[in-house]
Amino acid sequence: MKNRFNIAIAFFLVFSWGCDDIIEVELPVGAPVLVVDAWLNDKPEDQFILLTTTIPYFDNVLQPQVPGAVITVKDSDGNTYDFTEQSDGKYRWSPSVLQPKLGNIGSDFELSIDVNGQKYSASTFMGRVPEIDSLSFTFEEGNSFIDDYYYAEFWADDLVGEGDIYWIKTIKNGIPLNKPSEISLAYDAGFSEGGIVDGVTFIQPIRQSINPFEEDKDGVFQSPYLTGDTVYVEIHSISVAAFQFLNEVKITTDRPGGFGELFAQPLSNVPTNISNNNLAIENDVVGFFNVASVSGLGKRFE
Amino acid sequence: MLLIEIRILQTFNFSFLNYENSMKKIVGLLLFVMVYHTSLAQDKFTISGYIRDAQNGESLIGATVLIKELGTGVVSNVYGFYSITLPSDTYEVEYSYIGYSSQIKQLSLVENIKLDIELSSSLQQLNEVIISGEAEDENVSSMEMSTNKLDIETIKKIPAFMGEVDVLKSIQLLPGVSTVGEGAAGFNVRGGGVGQNLVLLDEAPVYNPSHLFGFFSVFNPDAVKDTKLYKGAIPAQFGGRISSLLDVRMKEGNNKELSTSGGIGTVFSRLAIEAPIIKNKSSFIVAARRSYIDVLAKPFVEELKNTGLSFYDLTLKTNYNLNDNNQLYLSGYFGRDVFKFDANQGFNWGSKTATLRWNHLFSDKLFSNFTLVYSKYDYQLAFGEDENDFFKWDSNVTNYIFKPSFTYYLNKSHEISFGGAMIYYQFEPANAAVGSGGDVINLSLGKKYNLESAVYINNNQKISNTFSVEYGLRFSSFQQLGAGTSYQYENPVIGESKVVTGFETFDKNEIIASYSNFEPRLSFKYQPNSKNSIKGSYNRMSQYIHLISNTTASNPLDVWTASSNNIAPQLGDQFTLGYFRNFSNNDFETSVEVYARNTQNQIDYIDGAEILINEQLEADLLSGIGRAYGVELFVKKNSGKLNGWISYTLGKTELKVEGINNDDWYPTKFDQTHNLKIVGFYDLNKRVSISTNFSFVTGTPTTFPTSRFMMQGVLVPHNSYNSRNNIRLPNYHRLDLSVRIDGKKVKKGKPRKVEDYFSVGVYNLYANRNAFSIYFSQSEGRFQPNQPIPSQATKVSIIGTVIPSISYNFKF
Repeated sequence: MKNRFNIAIAFFLVFSWGCDDIIEVELPVGAPVLVVDAWLNDKPEDQFILLTTTIPYFDNVLQPQVPGAVITVKDSDGNTYDFTEQSDGKYRWSPSVLQPKLGNIGSDFELSIDVNGQKYSASTFMGRVPEIDSLSFTFEEGNSFIDDYYYAEFWADDLVGEGDIYWIKTIKNGIPLNKPSEISLAYDAGFSEGGIVDGVTFIQPIRQSINPFEEDKDGVFQSPYLTGDTVYVEIHSISVAAFQFLNEVKITTDRPGGFGELFAQPLSNVPTNISNNNLAIENDVVGFFNVASVSGLGKRFE
Repeated sequence: MLLIEIRILQTFNFSFLNYENSMKKIVGLLLFVMVYHTSLAQDKFTISGYIRDAQNGESLIGATVLIKELGTGVVSNVYGFYSITLPSDTYEVEYSYIGYSSQIKQLSLVENIKLDIELSSSLQQLNEVIISGEAEDENVSSMEMSTNKLDIETIKKIPAFMGEVDVLKSIQLLPGVSTVGEGAAGFNVRGGGVGQNLVLLDEAPVYNPSHLFGFFSVFNPDAVKDTKLYKGAIPAQFGGRISSLLDVRMKEGNNKELSTSGGIGTVFSRLAIEAPIIKNKSSFIVAARRSYIDVLAKPFVEELKNTGLSFYDLTLKTNYNLNDNNQLYLSGYFGRDVFKFDANQGFNWGSKTATLRWNHLFSDKLFSNFTLVYSKYDYQLAFGEDENDFFKWDSNVTNYIFKPSFTYYLNKSHEISFGGAMIYYQFEPANAAVGSGGDVINLSLGKKYNLESAVYINNNQKISNTFSVEYGLRFSSFQQLGAGTSYQYENPVIGESKVVTGFETFDKNEIIASYSNFEPRLSFKYQPNSKNSIKGSYNRMSQYIHLISNTTASNPLDVWTASSNNIAPQLGDQFTLGYFRNFSNNDFETSVEVYARNTQNQIDYIDGAEILINEQLEADLLSGIGRAYGVELFVKKNSGKLNGWISYTLGKTELKVEGINNDDWYPTKFDQTHNLKIVGFYDLNKRVSISTNFSFVTGTPTTFPTSRFMMQGVLVPHNSYNSRNNIRLPNYHRLDLSVRIDGKKVKKGKPRKVEDYFSVGVYNLYANRNAFSIYFSQSEGRFQPNQPIPSQATKVSIIGTVIPSISYNFKF
């Protein structure tokens, strides 16, 4: 963990002649398109799908919701899950005695949306997830740049067999860590599809990806965890397409700025697995559909 | 080592078979020409020899030998050799080189004459600095176009970032040359990519010419003699990249007396020693540089105790004059950048090159050179605090090159060059392993082997006193060799990662894929008088190895990959036309050049391409075509108290790649509509001079979003037109200034032995915060669900302030 700070210090000393300024820019105007946020899981609780439209980039408001859609999810075991519109504009499916949870590991899923005279569909697959063995907290001595701090680490082994892909989500003190920099993905036990690290303990940077790195108002580094804090870690299974999607979301949204911009990739639209059934219409929908199985473990730092 | 040599010999052997026929034809033709000519040339004799600097014995490249009676002459080659064959008569021969006093010899040509000439630098005599190393009307009278030469004295005068004299930064002040911004490695020529330039240091390819990402270049100014950039009209002798060739030649070393030079700057300390080994026969130069920020910072920053942050290089050269007909040169470079975070972690990269050259005169008219080169670029990365959890990766590209070249000075109208090149490449994309919780997994990828070879012939022909042509043909071929695996891909969705449909494994030295190309080179010069000329050229270039980089600036971890069954060689066809005119007795040089280049098999990347440690890298590459065109204007004032140049380029460069920008043309990231550079030198008096340069460049094209949407609590930018590089960053402009104060030449009535000067500089004088990029992101801070997240645009300036510098340089 310490090395991250040494890297930061070394770079700071070398590249201290740069600067980042928040500026006003004028952007081209684009037509709104449909946004589908359909990240479902097999936890026995309400599942939501959100339909909205894109808004101009600098409009700091909530996206308008799209009412009046008919949304269903079908799985390869012959189950149909109907999502019905709620008063708050979200589409919801609730577990029942007959359908205690949404889908099974190994099943395929089809999403269909009928809205504003257009039909959209998407498909995905529910992969498996390993159990989390334990969570640990480690003390690290500070130095002249940072105070003493504690960091957390989760311990789990990737399932044997290539192609298990996970999204690791962390909730600290009841608040989800969902900044772009906190998106944590694992392809088997490693980072990527290219170099397969299969069937072993998740690599160290993934195990330690459950720590928030924040500064207070005066720019003083905050210990990721303190006595009394709780951490809850979930491993969600995701499809290959979802991995690529989230990976590109991370590339597009997690911008370190400064000298790191030298090595930034050009901005491009993130992909989508949702398409208009009318193949003649392209680029009128963004968003993603994934159904995850989930394992989780929590701990309070005493 | 021996095994490697055997393998090279084996591979060369079979690849020869591929073009044995064309080789035979060329050799046959040459022999015919030589024999035919010799039989006719009984009453003609040859004047030949070397032209050198009288003070230090360095050969002079491009010195002019003018036969006054005929108004014609030759120019010395890169080793200082010249040869001219004339009818028997008495001639007045003038040897000249700018910045040097000319010498005139009366020669009675009744037999072949060997005449080595030593010219004295007029610097010593006139005590003033002349900035050009060319013959006076070189730009008008030379066959060359689209080339720029910068001698090291000029480079040393240009205000430099942190006061560090830099070859690569200096050539960016020339027409047609640009960069994507400060800190970016490499340079772009006439709208070409960084990886489309061949950078040669004494004929050894340099794969990453930068220190500290792109802030400094690897060429130690104390060891550099001559820098020449070919942007077009590239002679047949060169090939391998489609955009440009930067030919950096090192000093040979003073063969008259011991000479020491060096300096202390803001970043580097430098020292160079050159001396004769055997006077006038053999000499050496050793030049070393090291950054010392780490040495200065360590005592003050406890955390840096186990860290390292340095870059250094060592440049060596020695030569031995065996006899009049044989000369040997051995040169080498070793440099590294080291970032060490603690004892086990960090990364480093660097190049090693070695060049052995043998100049041999078969006769007064047939000059030859044989070059052997070894070049290796490698990098290493290591993370992890203990042996249970770590990541280690190293990668390299290694070359072995053999290059024979011949120049036959047939007569005063024909100069024929021919030769060949063989390059054996070995790529090791990843020798990597990861440890996790005590388990170790090997991530290494297989090595790749390739052979590139070429033969060429070129004739520089003076048709009349006003019209000359140069025509040549290069035939290049390339083999992807085993052992290895080749993959076949299917591409169901353009713009997304391709799918493997099959693979094939190959044994050692089996040919996996093979390509060959004819590369015609043609140029002409029409020069009605000594003041004007019109030149034009066409050339085709092919490129078999490719720089894979999908980031804004190229970086040290970028991989080079070779052509394969899935990657076709890049091809470039360039047309140029130029008008060259000198005024006021060559005081002012001016030129206008237009260029147009079409390229094929250009590489781009799918979104989110995984280019590092990826066995299926080729599945993430896209292929398209490119076009670039522009006009370059250049005005240079050569002498007087105020001198310098103005360079302006109006250009456009675009790519069209299926799967990007709705399959339509889009500007590349180095497309710059306007590129203006002004460089001025002013001598206040004998000891104080001021240098300045100003740059104005159209902003870099970039992609801006139009819209936004939330996905799982993250604010994602969206461009509803799906376009690439649809907007431009603000224009870039910057002014630099430096003052050079020379030490006293005479002290207490005696001349000082030491020549020294201080250079005080200011980079980015008016502290302009030029945008390197503008990026879009959600605001810092943690947001609740159902709460709108503010978005923002951030301008990044790599250099956001005035950067002063001071350096002290000496020579004795």
